[in-house]
Parts: sequence; structure tokens; C-alpha cells
Amino acid sequence: MTVFADFGSTWSKIIDSSVKIIKTKEVPGEIIADFACGHNAEKRSKRYVNELIALSKGGLRLIDEKDFLLVDVGSRDIKYVLYRDGRFVETGWNQECGASQGFAIELLEMYYNIDCNRLELPENGYPVTCGLIGISRIFDEIIKTGDEENALARFVKGIAMNVYHFTGKPEKMYLSGGLCENRLFIESIPCEVVPLGRFVLVEGLKEIYKKGFC
Amino acid sequence: MKVGFVGHPPNDIIEKYRSEELIDLDNDLGQVEEKSDLYLPKISCSIIKRVFNNALAFRPQKIIFDVGEGKCDSGRFLSWILKEHFSIDIIETRNQNRKGSGTIICDSRLPLREKFDLILNNIINNKDYELEREPHPSAGFWSVPCWDTRIFDLFPEGTRIFGWTRCFENGTPDDLEIECYVEKGIPTVFYAQTFCSKNLLAKNLARVYQGLYVDCDGRLTASVKAQIEAFLYLRGTSG
Repeated sequence: MTVFADFGSTWSKIIDSSVKIIKTKEVPGEIIADFACGHNAEKRSKRYVNELIALSKGGLRLIDEKDFLLVDVGSRDIKYVLYRDGRFVETGWNQECGASQGFAIELLEMYYNIDCNRLELPENGYPVTCGLIGISRIFDEIIKTGDEENALARFVKGIAMNVYHFTGKPEKMYLSGGLCENRLFIESIPCEVVPLGRFVLVEGLKEIYKKGFC
Repeated sequence: MKVGFVGHPPNDIIEKYRSEELIDLDNDLGQVEEKSDLYLPKISCSIIKRVFNNALAFRPQKIIFDVGEGKCDSGRFLSWILKEHFSIDIIETRNQNRKGSGTIICDSRLPLREKFDLILNNIINNKDYELEREPHPSAGFWSVPCWDTRIFDLFPEGTRIFGWTRCFENGTPDDLEIECYVEKGIPTVFYAQTFCSKNLLAKNLARVYQGLYVDCDGRLTASVKAQIEAFLYLRGTSG
């Protein structure tokens, strides 16, 4: 059995005899993947794969188009790959200014007990480029208005706009990562968004395994 | 006498001090006390901070400081600060040389780290080199000298050097035409220190030549390293 794992900063996506999503801090120490990418993947795998390469290969496996922009929004960063005419053109990884955005949404949903999928799309978002700065904007807004739902919705919209700008204001993007399950986030991005789910990088690892690369 | 220099001052001035102990203050001179946090804004580029820290740590009797377009405004202001506030004897220069001495090291088959070492040390250890030209470089690197030299190890041997470093080897540090010279078809990484105005060139040249633009504030980050590795791999270059 070949084990594939995308060890995210907060969530790990693993395919072995089953398909699992578990908190990274709870991944059993004995799990050593055959092919892995992400947080501490060098230590937890026999073959470490660069995350952007895994993302690219996952895109090529899952997307049946020659031109595509694939964006992975993780707990702590945003990364993308751009293909034109079937050829790799560009990549970007915003780890500093995109810091902790996905994780901040998750924390705030839990803290305020709000499900983003129930929220209305707000007219405007906060101009946030970082999860931590965004959280302080939310606290200010809640002190001012007491409206936790609107504050969270505007925060999500701000993060969505940040992703949109970071990826060059595209007309269409394929989305990877946990935020594929967040309807408000997807609707907040002002272009066509095709969610591909949380296993895009793992699919990339499978593709690499299949083609015998590493 | 210790004589420091910053940037690429004109050769005739360097020659006057050739018999002295020349120190390139832009370079990594080992661990020195970091006083830049006290005197310079956080948004100063790491090379400017390094020049400042090196100048205070080594206290050369004179500093030949290139303050022309071949360096930068931050360098020009730092030169003034060192002279006025720290009483260091500064010789200001503006290197407008246009007689290029060639780019044999930039274009050679050597590994990138070795190329940078030779180029940057060539002011102090001035030599002519005979090196074989790499006719088909599999990667290009457009940059200024980098604060964190581990970046060089990500590139294959024979990576062609563009940008200010090319101007430096040529002895023409303010030649914008050479600085913007890039060869089409070579997958090229365009690198600038964070907070350096050369980011304007790096980003736009990367767009035009379909390269990868990255900036780094001092230490090489995991995301910049991963981007370079992925870019070179996905463009068919082995790192």
C-alpha cells in the first residue's frame, strides 16, 4: 500500500487504505508517507515533494483544460500555479502577507459559533491582507456594532478579495483547500470559482507516483 | 590602513588605495554587532543594514562610497549619515564608467555561488579570468548580490547572471541597459532584496520575460525557496 499525505499546518489529508482528514497535531507519529508534501513532510515521508509541484501535478490531473489558474488557500498561506496552453507559466506563494487567513476564519467560526455557509454575502469586505490584522478589525467592528455575523462575513470577503488580487484578478480560478467548503468565501471572490476540494495536492502526489518522478 | 568601500566605486579611486587593506562593506564579513535596529528604519533593505553594521563594526579609516545611480538613494543617505553622525571619513564617488570589461564570469559554466564569489571579490583581488562560456544555460538569475547566499545553491551550474551583478562584473554599475538585459527563452528568476527599489525592475522584467519574481528580506524563506525550486523544475531545469 502506498501512502500519500499532504501535511497542512493545521489539517492533514492522507490517503492510505482509506481517505482521511485529521488535525496535523493529532497525526500518529508512526505514519510515514511514501509521498508527502507540506508541513514537516521531509521528516514524515520517504519522498518529500515541493508543495507547488504537487499543486501543479494535481491541477494537471484534475483539470481538463489547457489554460488554468489553480489557487490553494491553506490555513496559513496562499499559493497558485498558472498554466497556459498546457505549459507552466507562473507560480506564487504568499506566506507572509497571506499569513493565517484560513486558520483565522476557522478560529472565528468556532469562537463565535457561526457557520459561514449561513451568512449573507456582504457588500464590502475589510481590506485585510493578513489574518492577524483582520482579527483586530473584527474585534473593533464588534465593539462598534455588536454584529458578529456581519463582521465575520466582511472579514471573509476581505480575505477572498486578497486572494483575488494576489492571483492577478483572474476571470476564472480553480480552488483547492479547506475553503472549498466555505460557500461565503467562494461567493466573495468576484470571478468564476471552481472548487476542487481538499485533496488536490494529494492527487498531485499520486500523479507523481504514477509517472515515476521524484 | 583599513579602507572600506560600498557599491562599485570607479577603478581609478580603488587603485589609489590598492596597497591598503580594502574591505567590501556590502559583503558578509562574519558576525558583527547589529546596530542598524537602533538607527535605521525597519524598512531598510538588508544590504543597507549590513553596510551600516559593517561600517560601525570595522571602523575603516575611510570609506569609498559609491553614491551614484549605480548604488541607490538609501546608499547615498547612509553615506551622509555615516559622515555626519558617526564621523567616518567618506569619499563619495559616482561611477559612470561605460567602458565595459566584459561578463565572462556571468556567462561561464561555473556554479552560481562561485560566480558571485569571483565577481564580488574581483575589486579586491583583481584578476582576469579565462573561462569557458556556457552556450545553453538552463537557468538565469537576475539580481543584486544576495544577503542570504544559500539561494545560489538552488540553481544549476552555468546559470547565467543578469541584472546589477552583471553590471558589477562589467565595471559599469549604473548602466541601466545592461541591468535590464535578459536573454529570451532562459527560465530566469528575478530577485531583489525586500524594500529595494530594484523590485520595480524585477517584477516587470519577470512579467515581460515570463520569469519568476521573488523578493526576500534577508534570510531565504521556505516559500521563496519552494517557488524557485518549483519554477526551475516546472520549466524543465534541474536544480
